[in-house]
Amino acid sequence: MTDRIKEQLSAFLDGELPDPESALLVKRLERDDDLRGALSRYSLIGAVLRSDGDVPAARQVAARVSAAIAQEPFRGVAFVRMPGRDTLLRAAAGLAVAASVAFGAVLLVQQVGTQDPAGAEAMVAKAEVPPVQPVADELDTTDAPPEAYVTPPATDSPSGIPPAEFANYLVAHYGYASPLARRSVGAGIISDDDPSFVDTAPPGESNDP
Amino acid sequence: MSARPAIAFALGLAAAPAFAESGQEWLTRMGAALNNASYVGEFVSESAERTERLAITHRVRDGVVSERLVSLSGHGRELVRENDEVVVYLPDQKLAIIERRSGRSDLMGALPQFEGRMASWYKVDWVGRETLDDFGPTAVVAVRPLDGYRFGYRLWIDVDSHMPVRSDLADGSGRVIERLRFTKLRFDDNIPDSAFEPAVDRRKLRWVRQSPQSEEETPAWRAAQVPPGFRLSVSGMQALAGSGAPVNHLVYSDGLATVSVFIQTPEPGKAPMQGTTRSGVASAFTTVVDGHQVTAVGEVPPRTLKFIASGLRPAAAPEGATPAAASNRH
Repeated sequence: MTDRIKEQLSAFLDGELPDPESALLVKRLERDDDLRGALSRYSLIGAVLRSDGDVPAARQVAARVSAAIAQEPFRGVAFVRMPGRDTLLRAAAGLAVAASVAFGAVLLVQQVGTQDPAGAEAMVAKAEVPPVQPVADELDTTDAPPEAYVTPPATDSPSGIPPAEFANYLVAHYGYASPLARRSVGAGIISDDDPSFVDTAPPGESNDP
Repeated sequence: MSARPAIAFALGLAAAPAFAESGQEWLTRMGAALNNASYVGEFVSESAERTERLAITHRVRDGVVSERLVSLSGHGRELVRENDEVVVYLPDQKLAIIERRSGRSDLMGALPQFEGRMASWYKVDWVGRETLDDFGPTAVVAVRPLDGYRFGYRLWIDVDSHMPVRSDLADGSGRVIERLRFTKLRFDDNIPDSAFEPAVDRRKLRWVRQSPQSEEETPAWRAAQVPPGFRLSVSGMQALAGSGAPVNHLVYSDGLATVSVFIQTPEPGKAPMQGTTRSGVASAFTTVVDGHQVTAVGEVPPRTLKFIASGLRPAAAPEGATPAAASNRH
């Protein structure tokens, strides 16, 4: 985890992260186990600091977080289901729900420390799980983000090319991509979700910049 | 007519667009802005798999296009482009990959006119005006695919700068696959060279170069079947990281969407691959044809990649080896 992410987490817990960045961080938390672990640790530390060293009280909050996650029922998915992918999507949605509950509880920790019921209520409301929406058949014309993005269905087993090799193919394709899609392809190349690239230099190629 | 309505009428005329609200006209203006404007900004790329925030610096000076993309969401990976050369900086891997594009540099830099043959594959619709919170009034234009072999776009074009400040990539049913939207945008005609220097210390990186090695007058491979409208645009040999020998690289385009096809001699001891892989808007399909690994990559539906890759044949192969050329309309 980079220092930048740590700073974002800290600012998020302090309520100082701008809304757009908070939204991105929440999405990242939904899929990053390490990041969620760090958030829990940071919030626990914060709870201890704010409770004047009352560790049992802080642990009690942490236990409530765990209990809330365990009791939260599955509420559905916000993705379009593809044949054979239900299990994965269901798990992902469950994770998102659990993460959202955890955020609510973590933000509740802030309430314990700040004793600011109005502010805490607003923050908890911000972390509520959005209702499940059907995917629109037509492109929406509003500025609001769609409730779901679809993934193009694979034509075959989605296990064809090792991810690292795919990344190198993408780099080779980037220069030819449509002017309307080139930045999307570029974003895919430097996305941190993507794994390592193949770093074996082709024969006869210099390793100098 | 009293003076007040007359003034209002005159103001109304002055505020009305000075040109017809046609989708194609707005795309032309947008294309000019994309080719000529220099700017600094941030945008968010959202899809089902990921949300990524990126910074962009784009400069056009004396015909040279420089662009730098920086991931703001994690490890600080960067992509720096200067005309036909692209360098991907991966500080988390202490690695840099240099890729140089072959073929005519002007081949795919501009938006096409959606007229003539393009009108058979895409339909351009004027949607209307819409005000975005961050950018004010925009002109909304839809580029709709007329079959399932390509994706479509809905574009929000800033009426002042003519820049696309938001675009939705959608499948044939109009469902959004990816949304790309600017959150900051500032025009600057004096962006210094230093703005394109990567933040990472270049001396600490290992460098891998993926260079074009030759252009082929007569491609060694050909597609026996392509979706309607797709044509061969570029053909050559190039180095590819991890490949022990140069690979054939063919590029097919319908004028907007593009598909790269890589043909590789199998590596000794390496199992052949088969199937589909995805990353954001781009997909790849790989299969084995005539003992070679054939991989198609592009920002098109996976079925298009499978259709093209499955139809690849050595140019010397007899016509009898050609698969059924369904929908082949070169």
